[in-house]
Amino acid sequence: MPDLPGRDLARELIEKSRGESRATPVEEMIEAVRKDGLTADAAHRLMGRLWTLERMFYYVYGGWGQGLEINDFPPSVKYLFSKQIVDESTHEMLYLDAQLHKGFVPTQKDAFRHPYGVFTLDSALAYYVFSLRNLATYPHPIRIAALNLGPKILEFGWMEGLSASLADPELKGVFESQAVENRSHINMGRRIVEEFVKEPVEAELCRWACAIAKRDYNRFLGELSAFVLGREAPAPPAPRRQVTD
Amino acid sequence: MPSLKIDHERCTECRMCYIVCREIDINAVYVDLDPLHRIEIDLQKCTYPGCTACLMYCPAEGSIIEVETGRSLVPPPPEVWQEP
Repeated sequence: MPDLPGRDLARELIEKSRGESRATPVEEMIEAVRKDGLTADAAHRLMGRLWTLERMFYYVYGGWGQGLEINDFPPSVKYLFSKQIVDESTHEMLYLDAQLHKGFVPTQKDAFRHPYGVFTLDSALAYYVFSLRNLATYPHPIRIAALNLGPKILEFGWMEGLSASLADPELKGVFESQAVENRSHINMGRRIVEEFVKEPVEAELCRWACAIAKRDYNRFLGELSAFVLGREAPAPPAPRRQVTD
Repeated sequence: MPSLKIDHERCTECRMCYIVCREIDINAVYVDLDPLHRIEIDLQKCTYPGCTACLMYCPAEGSIIEVETGRSLVPPPPEVWQEP
C-alpha cells in the first residue's frame, strides 16, 4: 500500500466525528424511545422528516455533480459518487415505504402533501440542505470529506443507537438495513481524502467544511428530535410573495 | 390468481417498476429491508393481471416472472400487453 498523502487527515476527521457521534441532539429522542416507545404519530414525524431530507439529496448531489468535470478524477471516484447517489435514493424509498406500509399516508402524493413530508424553507432541514449545496463550488474531495467524514459518521452513530432502542421490527429494519451503505460512504470518503487531499490548504478546507457540515447537521438533528418528541410545531409555510423588479 | 416475482439474477435494479407502481398508487413494489435493499413485489398489493404497468416499463428481459408458470413476462407477451 503506497503512503497516501491524506491518510493522517482522514484518520483525524474520522476520529473526531466518531467521538461526537453519540452526543448529538438525537440522543434525547433515543432515550425517550427507549423509555416510552414511539407512538404512531411520532414515528410518522420521524419518517416524514427523514424522507424530506433524503429527497433533498437529489438537489444537493445535482449541484455537486455539475462540478465534476471529465478527467478531474479517475473514473473510480465518479463511480463511488454515483453509488452514493443511488444509495441515498434507496434510503429515500425506505422512508416512503415505511410511511405507506404503516398506513401513515395512503399514497405517495399524500406523503408529499402531508405537513410532516413538506419541505419548509424556514427550517433547520433547509438550512442544512443549502449548506451542503453551497459546497458545490469546492473541489470534490473537500465536499466529500465534509459530508462523508462528518454528518455521515454522526448519522451512523445515532442510527445504531436508535435502531437498538426501537421495538417495531419494520422501523428498526429501516435504520439497521442502511448500516452497510452508510459504512460504505464513510469508507469511500476516507479513501478519497487519503488519495486526493495533498496540500496543507486543502486539508484546512476539509477541516473547515467538515465542521460546518456537522454544525448544520446537528442543528437539523435538534429540530428533528424536538419535532418527533412533539416539542416544536413545524414552521408554517413561507408566504408566497410576488417578486417584481 | 397468477402472481409476479422478480428474478434477481436478471434484474438490474433500475427501479422503474418501483416508480410506476408508486405513481399509480398500487405500491406493491417495495425495497426489502435487508442490507442488499433488493426490489420485491408485495403479492397482497399487486393486482396482476389487472395491472401490468411494471412489465411495460421493465427494461431487463426475464427479470419479472409469473410465479405459477415460471414464464418470463419481460418483454410482455401479447396476451398480457395492456395499452397504458
